[in-house]
Order: sequence, then structure tokens, then C-alpha cells
Amino acid sequence: MRIDPSRGLRAPLAVAAIGLALWPSVFSSAYDLRLFTLAGVYVLLVLGYQFIFGHVGALSLTQGAFFGLGAYASAILAVRGGWSFSETFVLSIAIAVALAALIAIPVLGLESHYFALATLGIAQVLLLVCREWAPLTGGVNGISGVPGIVLFGRAVPGGSPSLILVWSLVVIGAAVAWRIQRGLYGLAFHVVRSAPAAAGTIGLDSGRMRLAAFLLSAAYAGAAGALFVRVNGIVSPDVLEFPVMVTCLAMTVIGGATRVAGAFAGAFLLVYLPEWFRPLDKYYLIAYGAGLLVMIVAAPDGLLGAAARLRQRLMPETDVAPEPERLPRPEVPVTAPLIFRDVVKSFGGVKALQGVSFEVRRGEIVGLIGPNGSGKTTLINIATGLETCDGGAVLYGNQVLTGRAPFAIARLGIARTFQNICLAGELSALDNVAVARSLDPGVDIETARAQAMHLLETLGAANFAMSQVRALPHGVQRRIELARALAVQPQFVLLDEPAAGLSEREQADLAGQIKTLRTRGLAVLLIEHNMPFLAGLADRLICLHEGRVIGQGSPDEVRRNPRVIAAYLGEPPRVPA
Amino acid sequence: MLQVLANGLALAAAYALVALGFVLVANAANAVNFAQGDLVMAGGFVAVALSRLWPVPGIVLLPAVLAVMAVLGLALSAIAYFPLRGRPATAIFVSTIAVGLMLENGANAIFGAEPQAGPPLLPGAAIALGPVSLSRQSIAVIVTAAVLILALEFLFARLRFGWRLRATAQDREMAASIGIDVTWMIAFSFALGAALGGAAGLLLANSFFVTPTDGINYMLKAYIAVVIGGWGSIRGAVAGALLIALFEVVYPSLPLLVPALPVSWLFTETTATIILYGVVLAVLLLRPRGLFGEAVLRRA
Repeated sequence: MRIDPSRGLRAPLAVAAIGLALWPSVFSSAYDLRLFTLAGVYVLLVLGYQFIFGHVGALSLTQGAFFGLGAYASAILAVRGGWSFSETFVLSIAIAVALAALIAIPVLGLESHYFALATLGIAQVLLLVCREWAPLTGGVNGISGVPGIVLFGRAVPGGSPSLILVWSLVVIGAAVAWRIQRGLYGLAFHVVRSAPAAAGTIGLDSGRMRLAAFLLSAAYAGAAGALFVRVNGIVSPDVLEFPVMVTCLAMTVIGGATRVAGAFAGAFLLVYLPEWFRPLDKYYLIAYGAGLLVMIVAAPDGLLGAAARLRQRLMPETDVAPEPERLPRPEVPVTAPLIFRDVVKSFGGVKALQGVSFEVRRGEIVGLIGPNGSGKTTLINIATGLETCDGGAVLYGNQVLTGRAPFAIARLGIARTFQNICLAGELSALDNVAVARSLDPGVDIETARAQAMHLLETLGAANFAMSQVRALPHGVQRRIELARALAVQPQFVLLDEPAAGLSEREQADLAGQIKTLRTRGLAVLLIEHNMPFLAGLADRLICLHEGRVIGQGSPDEVRRNPRVIAAYLGEPPRVPA
Repeated sequence: MLQVLANGLALAAAYALVALGFVLVANAANAVNFAQGDLVMAGGFVAVALSRLWPVPGIVLLPAVLAVMAVLGLALSAIAYFPLRGRPATAIFVSTIAVGLMLENGANAIFGAEPQAGPPLLPGAAIALGPVSLSRQSIAVIVTAAVLILALEFLFARLRFGWRLRATAQDREMAASIGIDVTWMIAFSFALGAALGGAAGLLLANSFFVTPTDGINYMLKAYIAVVIGGWGSIRGAVAGALLIALFEVVYPSLPLLVPALPVSWLFTETTATIILYGVVLAVLLLRPRGLFGEAVLRRA
């Protein structure tokens, strides 16, 4: 898969941009110009919606409400307060962002089906308030006579001048969105969306990213609303109705939810299609629903995504892998051990861990064994913050890890892999690793990719660097996960069944790589069932059974430990005398 | 007072059917059917259309409405759910929103934007009950909905087919492994969900009329009932519907019932709705698994 999906589209995009720029000079009646200006307003609305819907992947149904709120705020302040355009423009953005910040507290952490409902509910409340609070909002009639745009003391007349102003703001908005979405931040959104469990473990604060995306979406919607009302001169509760939200959603889905150019394509199509299909009248709206359905089924990444895929199929281009670059040596290595102290955890009535204590020191490879269901993965989940424990603590030196968020633990230098591989399937192997370099403030995306290339090379996965992860074999995916964990530059690496599903040769390679980590002073804690693999690798084994440590020591000691044997094989049969 | 209560119960009964249809699909398909509200609207218009062809009481039309809506539900699953299996949850949100849009605009193209009255369930006027008279329609709505809900309860509790549906809702993989045709069960859940929504449409169409844009309101009410009652819980959905409908009917008439309260904007239907949303947000924040707990626990 290509790293930069827009690259193959550059020429057509340039043609489209020129066409867009020339459009108003061809279709230049007052009506055409107004339509074109409105299309620009919708582009802004959709660009904002892409942050929360496209990049975070959350179905927010308040985007229309932010838009309406921006429009109402501008209208009220302009008509009743006599505020100027620049003042109301800024204030519309501010008020939409303020509302977003307020509702983010209760709703942003909700699961998808609750999030959609909560945001829709808020939008409906806003609609009802606008309809009923007539003294302020003009009730069902809304507010008319909103003055047009006045900038630097001069009125910007309708038609071309206001079109140019709106479109300048659209270009600025698109450039800002593009800047934010490219680079490591854009990659990080992919991980937050399609491998949320992994995001924290590479130090990404997904809560903060969701919040940022939500606030950005509100800011764009507020700006779009402010422009909308100045262009229209009138605002009514219609702007807060569900159809506006659905239009925004449809534009985003049809154009492509994660591409800046998709916002242009979607907004344009849906503004102009009803014009072109005017004879169809009411039936157009049915066709529009059908079109939305066809797009979500057949082209989930929108027209632009489909175009990119088509082009890739017709003219396949493989990206050239970057030159590998070593990672900088981490600063003073930490020498503190990772300490599990009396860790207790139950799930309902099941006691998963009943007071587990042990330590992992630097330069040590410790194997964690035990029958299925003995609590091994739970222990690693607690150490990396994905689960909380009911009692006891996990410490890193004298710092308590329990209670910290996964991203905070990762930033202390504790990385992990997953038993069920957790990678962003649509990204390339290289980008899955590169994104874990984003903690280092001095690293840009090119450096991150070069360093990711180095890690993939040392793990023997360089050949797969440019392939989409989803299509890669299991063994390779395990190596990519390990490379991603190492990209965090951890002191401790916690590996959950890293050898599962690997061939014997791959296992030997992996053992060699883990030993290299030990020589570099890292500590490794690995969950494994494969005793031959562990025997030659681990310095110490710890055996869990029913949530308790039932044996520890060198691999030989543990293998001879009768309690361990009993746990694995059951009680030895009693031989009749 | 009694009449207010009867109205509230009639509304609750209809909401309960909508919410049941919603939760059946949510459980079986693990998907939110955003078109559920539009299916209610569609059921209302099916009833209007049938009563024009054949002017008989609504209760006679009920089986026909159920059948037409079940077919619509199957069609919905075929075009908006099955092609998207295995995709992120938002994809099915969007596809069902799209179907809702088609239903809404289809109804608008056929019947126009004006509100239409559906057929009354039974002919005749109000029933006198001592000094108060209760509208025959309210009682008929309550009884019809109760019969449908009990029939559903019977299906799930007693019939082998209902057990298969329940097994599918609890664990699709497990159900498939013991030989249940999961695909057919999901399709049937969509049919059942649409039929229940359509029945609610018929029940509501007489007193509340039916307008193409009604869908969103019913959708929200079903959604809220399910959230309050606990995601996935069938009885919770009924309880949630009862709570919100009674609140909606009783709250605006509080000043009539309690003379000490002033008649003001504080006691309007709009305020009731705003309070309802506020309560839902509070429930989501404080008890994210609903007032009575979630019935279907998601796996980690």
C-alpha cells in the first residue's frame, strides 16, 4: 500500500483545483456565485467533520448543531448587538468550541452507540431551545436581515467579492487540516481509530486526541455557520434540523472521510447534484439516500479513496523504502526494576490474580508460564495500564504504575506486544512502527520512517516495510509489533506469546533478537507456553497457576518443580500398591 | 387524570413496540438500526394507504401492516446490514441513516408533507367509565400493544425458534457452532423489528397523525428507552418506554393536576423533552449500563 495515497492523484487533483478556480468565471450569474459560495461553506463544515468522524472514527451527530450555533451566534450578535463580521466570526468559532468542550466531558468517553445518541440528543436540545426561546432567537421564524460581510470598515458586496473571501477562508482551513493530518499526527489518528488498544501502549494519549479532534470539528463548524449566515442574510431553526447533519455526513462519506480533497468533492457533489437533477424534484432526495447507501457499501473511503485505489490498480506504483537510520541512544538508562507486589484482580466471581509478587531486573529475560487462564495476560495488562488491579501494586523502581493511564506508562519506558496482534491494518508496516516514534519531540515523519526502517531491518522484516499490514502473514505481523514496541525505546519489553504461530526458524531468529535486547541492557518479560523456546532463552521462569506464583527459578528448576508439573499435567495418577 | 394516564399508557405502549424492535436488532445484529424511527413512520403510512383502499378499522389492518413491514425489514437487512458485516459500527449507522432518508423522502413523494390521520383501531366513540370517559382508541392501543408484547414474550420463552433468536443475540459464534443459521436469525430479527415498529406506526397514526419527518423523533425515543432500560434488555426497553412516555404526558399536565404549580414555559412538552435528554445524558454519565444494567455483556 502506498504511504501517501494522494500522490498518485496529484495531477487529477491539480486539474480539479484549476477547474474549481475557473468555475465562477464561467457560471457567473448571481445565483451561481451564491451557490458556489455556499459550496465553500459546506467544504469548511465537512473538513471539520472529518476530524471527528474520519480520523477518530466516532459518529458525532452534533456537527450540524455546531454549525447552527455558529450561525445563530453570528446572527444574534450582528442584528441585536451590531457586532462586525470579524468579531462575530471569531465569536461563532469560540462559542461552538466552548459547547464542544462542555459536552466533551460527559460524552467523549462513551462507546460508539451511546456517543451517537448523546450527541444527537444535544443537537435536538439545541434545536428545541432555538425554536422556543423566541425573544432571543426569533422562534420558528428565526432572524432575518443579517448584514453582509464588512471587512476593515468596507462592505464586501455579495457575488464575487464575498465568494473570494469565503473561498480564501476555505483554502486556509484546508491547508490547516492538511498540515494537521499529514505527518505523525495523522498516523497516530489511524492507530487511535483502528487499533485503539495499542494506541496507549505506544504512548499516544487517545483521550486527548479525541478531544482535540472534537474541538477542531466544532471550530470549523462554527466558522462555517458564521459565514453561512452572512452569505444568506437569514437564519432559522432549519439549520439545526437533522437533515443538515445528514447532509454533512453524506458529503463526508461520499467524498472520503479522511482526505482533504474528499471534503471538496463531497460538498460540491451534494450542493450541485440537486441543481443538475432539478427535474427529478422530490425523487432526487430518494436517490440521494440511495447514493449514500451505495457509497458506504461499495466505497467506504469515498470517491477519492476509490479513485486512489483504481489508479493504484491501473498503474501500480510501489513506494521506495526509506534509507534506514539508527535510533538515537536513549539518555541515561534507568536501572530500576519492575516490581509486582501482591497484585490482586477478580473478574466478577473469578479470582484471576490472588496476590502475585515478583521482580524483573534490568538485563534479565524472565519467562512467565502457566496453564491457560492462570492470569498471565491479565498481569501484563495491569502493568501496562490496560486494566486496573483490585489490590497490590505494580512499581517501576519507586514509581507506582497502577492507576496511571497506558500512555503514561509507555512514556516511562515500558512497551508491550499483544497476544492477539493489534496493528493498524490499513497502514503499511513501516508506518505502524514509525508512529511509535512520535513521542520523541525532535522526530518528524521522514526521520520516524527512516528509524522505523532500521528497526524492521534488525528484526528481519525490511522486505515487508511498504506492504499493508492487513495482508501480511502472522509471523511477520508479530515482528512488526515487536519493532513497534522497540520504537518506543523502552527499558522494559513485555511480550505476550511472541513465538505463537512462528516456524522453528522464526523462533530461533526471535530468540536471538530477544537476547540482543538483553545485551543492550533491556529487561524482557515474556509469556510463553513453548518450553524448548524458553529453555534456551530465559534467565528465570515464573509459573502462575490459578492466579498465584507456584514456582520460580532457572528453567531447569521450574521444569522439575512438582507443583508446576501438576499444574500442567494434573495430579499424577495414584499407582495402586 | 385517568384520561391523562390512559393517554400516557397508550403512548408508552407504542413506544415500547418501537424500542423492542430496536433492541431486537441491536442484540441479534450488534448494530444500531437508525432507520427504526422511519420504519414507524412507514408503518403509519402503510396503514393510511391500506385504509384508503379498504376502509375498515385499524385492528383489521394490523396483520397486513405487520406483513408489509416484515418484508421491508428483510429488505433493510439485505441492503444495509449484510453487505457491511465485519465493518466498523459507524458504517451500519450511516447505511441505516441512508435507508431512513430514502423512507422519509419516499413517503414525502408519495403522500406529501402534510400530516395524515391513520385509521382508528376500533370504530365508535369514547367509553364512559363512571364520571370519566376514556377514549376507545387509547384503550385499544394499550391492549393491542400488550398482546403483541406478550406474543413476543411467548415466542422467546416457549418456542424453539425464539430460543434460537435468543441464542443468536447472546453469542453469534456459539450459536453458529451449535448449528443455528445465524444469518437467517439476524434477517428475521430485522423483519420482527420492522414489524413491531410498523405496528407502533399504525397505533400512533390515528391520535398523533403521521408525517414523513416523524422518524427522527421516534428513533430518539426508542434509543432513549433502550439506554434507560439497559442496552440489550428486552424488559428494560419496555420499562424505559413506559417511563419516558408517562413522563412526556404527565409532566406538561402537572399544573392541571397540581394547582399550586404555575402554568408557564417550565411545564411545556418542549421542556419535558429537554429534561428527558438531560436525564439521558446523566444516565450515560453516571450509569453507562442503564438503570437496570446491560443485558448483553460485550466481550473484552
